[in-house]
Amino acid sequence: MAEGDLRWYILFANYEQGLALHGLLSDAGIKNRIAPAPRAIQGELSCGMSLLLEPDAVEAARRCIEEHHAEYHDIVPLAGQIRSRRDKYC
Amino acid sequence: MIYLDNAATTLHKPPQVMDAVVRAMTAMGNAARGAHGGALEAARTVYNTRVKLARLFGCPRPDHVIFTANSTEALNIAISGLIRPGDHVITTDCEHNSVLRPLYRLEEGGAALDVVPADQLGRVAYEDLEALLRPGTRAVVCTHASNLTGNVLDIARIGEMARRRGALLIVDASQTAGALPIDMEAMGIDVLCFTGHKGLMGPQGTGGLCVRPGVEIEPWKVGGSGVHSYDRRQPREYPTRLEAGTLNGHGIAGLSAALDFLQEVGLEAIEAKERALMDRFYQAVSAMDGVTVYGDFSQARRSAIVSLNIRDYDSAAVSDELSETYGIATRPGAHCAPRMHQALGTTDRGAVRFSFSWFNTQEEVDEAIRAVGQLAEG
Repeated sequence: MAEGDLRWYILFANYEQGLALHGLLSDAGIKNRIAPAPRAIQGELSCGMSLLLEPDAVEAARRCIEEHHAEYHDIVPLAGQIRSRRDKYC
Repeated sequence: MIYLDNAATTLHKPPQVMDAVVRAMTAMGNAARGAHGGALEAARTVYNTRVKLARLFGCPRPDHVIFTANSTEALNIAISGLIRPGDHVITTDCEHNSVLRPLYRLEEGGAALDVVPADQLGRVAYEDLEALLRPGTRAVVCTHASNLTGNVLDIARIGEMARRRGALLIVDASQTAGALPIDMEAMGIDVLCFTGHKGLMGPQGTGGLCVRPGVEIEPWKVGGSGVHSYDRRQPREYPTRLEAGTLNGHGIAGLSAALDFLQEVGLEAIEAKERALMDRFYQAVSAMDGVTVYGDFSQARRSAIVSLNIRDYDSAAVSDELSETYGIATRPGAHCAPRMHQALGTTDRGAVRFSFSWFNTQEEVDEAIRAVGQLAEG
């Protein structure tokens, strides 16, 4: 991701909720990654872990959550701060 | 992966720790439950581990070494078993929630709590602590080293103050057990709470408390003890008094092997290596534009921790980038140390904690320096 790109974070009250939804999303083929929850969007209820989604996966994730009555705290967009050098090895 | 989250747990353990756990799982019965070979094997292992821990921490009696699942459990046992409604207790801004939450709960139940403030370098003024001591102060509860800044508190000085005013000293040694010298008698510690899976390099699920003889802790859990089965009350003798239920014998066997490793390598060598790794990292990153380092690095002795922030980045974003792009494991966020973050002014974005262990190398530190440098460049 580039600096400034919107990243979508699913926030949780605890790790158990996050890991359960990670399994559901992965089983449904919805790309998601466990990531530390940014302090800026954690809020009072959420914990230190989040699920990071690509923008085009957000709606599918919402449908998956609804279908399974999965527990979560919030889904929040946040602009990326860091210009990743992740392609440096390519 | 370059593992620099040793303040959370040491991921790399001495191989003999794993061997000991596996061996115990094939040979160990239940300690203090019966007299057959398996039960005695467990009882001997547990007792010998108490002896090793008593020696390491300067605890006068091995039977006053009590096993728990971790230091949080040990602290809860000590705090709830010694402090009553109406008592006065003192702690510091440097504490982990494993100290703060039990104290807040006691405060809600009628204990009086005072907290010694920390400055922006995470230091407490000992004069402030001394000024809070009063007749009726039951205990001072404090960490040996902050899990966020790595700053070490002068426990011997606090112990002397507490003793002079008739207060108990309960110490959280989560970050220092196995990494820095601890001597309960010389430092005036009444109860030392430790975890087995950090500096001691044992398995998770091990920890305990060492109790100075004469300190009477009321048990918060009671139940099976293997002895005095017809008594309605929990036996009063340590360690049985505080150890209801089956111990984590397999984990304790691993901890015992870890203690042998520590003895073999030597605490001085461990402290020197961790200090050298930390100093190398600190010297490099603290000189970088855009990097803010927290803590007091003028201390002669400190825990091998460097917490920092880069530019205006959220600590979670930095830690994620370090993990995903550079393969470096660190810990962002609040570190269960809310008051310390408030003192440092890092409540909003947390901090990225790098913590070093015996098994880290200079090459790993250099890779971490390079990564921080690239992130700081933007």
